[in-house]
Amino acid sequence: MSRFQLPGSPSTLASVGAKDEPSRSLGIDRNARERLVVGVADLAVSKDSSKSIVTYALGSCIGVTVYDPVAKVGGMLHFMLPESTVSPEKAAANPAMFGDLGIPMLFQKVIEAGARRERLVVCAAGGAEVLADDGHFRIGHRNRTILRKIFWKQNLLLAADDTGGQHSRTMSLKLADGSIQIRAQGKDSSLWPR
Amino acid sequence: MATLNETIASLDRLPALPSTSVRLVAMLAGGGTQASLRDVEQIVRQDESIAASILKLANSAAYGVPGRSFSLSDAVRRLGTRTLAKIALETQVSGRLANAGVSYGLRRGALSESALGGAIAAETLARRYRVDPELAFVAALLRDIGKLAIDAIAGPDALEAIAAQADARPFLAYEREAFGADHAELGALLCERWGMPLEIVHAVRGHHEPPSNPADPVTDVVHAADCVARWAGLGLGCDGLLYPFNAEARLRLGATRDELEALVADVHSALTPAATGLPNLRNAA
Repeated sequence: MSRFQLPGSPSTLASVGAKDEPSRSLGIDRNARERLVVGVADLAVSKDSSKSIVTYALGSCIGVTVYDPVAKVGGMLHFMLPESTVSPEKAAANPAMFGDLGIPMLFQKVIEAGARRERLVVCAAGGAEVLADDGHFRIGHRNRTILRKIFWKQNLLLAADDTGGQHSRTMSLKLADGSIQIRAQGKDSSLWPR
Repeated sequence: MATLNETIASLDRLPALPSTSVRLVAMLAGGGTQASLRDVEQIVRQDESIAASILKLANSAAYGVPGRSFSLSDAVRRLGTRTLAKIALETQVSGRLANAGVSYGLRRGALSESALGGAIAAETLARRYRVDPELAFVAALLRDIGKLAIDAIAGPDALEAIAAQADARPFLAYEREAFGADHAELGALLCERWGMPLEIVHAVRGHHEPPSNPADPVTDVVHAADCVARWAGLGLGCDGLLYPFNAEARLRLGATRDELEALVADVHSALTPAATGLPNLRNAA
């Protein structure tokens, strides 16, 4: 799959992996033609300010968004598992599956597309947990931990996050202004700006 | 919202599974007694779509011999009854589930994808824990079939209001309050009506709450597979992750975290169109 190939010229639309979605009515951004959909274990970067980047069904997975408000370049990652060491072969085929590889890759792609690291607004959503997990798996929790670990090392701050609980979330990033909407349990809310 | 009687009555309005699937799956029961290949071929010949799927698979790169094409009788012999039962049901169930799950707010194709992802996980876990892999595949494929019944009683997004109020209790409890029965129980009743083997009925009934006394290995495997599918982001509607992972079932299986996480990655990869050798595995979401 050619998920991670960016178009060569920086002046073209840099959208990776995502595809325009035919139809789905959700509270967020009903115009399907203006939507780039990021699947599970997938990432997208774009500077097309007429569009939004959307990901559905964030359960234990985490959605990470980065946005440069000056260059108006944004990106989204939907990673599934914290660490690539559990499956090096799958990680080689698709690094976006794992937080430890996907998060650095998201930053790299968005910077390649013209964003500046020091201007990036970074948000996260997801990392829910199955009920009554007796501390054995805690995939949602460990996904949140890997995120914090990487940000700590890179000296980055999360501008806003909506994580934990048991519910599934939809996350949408509007490329015109960097605003982020979350839809969960039948309700829409604004994650950024707060 | 609905009484148990109304809920049960709604099961009668759902179309039965085609007899091809039912008859082939019945051959998986009781440890998989060998049906004669001629019987199997006769069953398969009655259903064009299944016959076509079987021919396509037998002649595919995974099974075929380059430069040779197989007739239907050859194909039946090459693939064997167990694989055929799997294909027949997969073909017919994914069609049935493609538009299902609307009451949970699921997108088109989400439930059939989740059925297949769980089935692939169950098959892998079954091999590891010495449970019949085809039986586990079929049981996992059917595990959420009861959501068809919930769709029939409640309209699109009907469960969102319930989910919005939900605290950290298993979602099955909310379903029981609203409909008198949960989707696992309704799925088991449907499977019974369709003449599915008892092993499958039990696994569908217990896939969120596997019994301990006595424990059932197929149910344990389907339960773990359901959680793996959920971690892979499959089939997440407004019910989200409001299902427990049963610690006793985990201990009985001896499943480790690394093992299940690797399986989450495998299931995700197996669902990409390029990776599927079987026909009709994915409906475009």
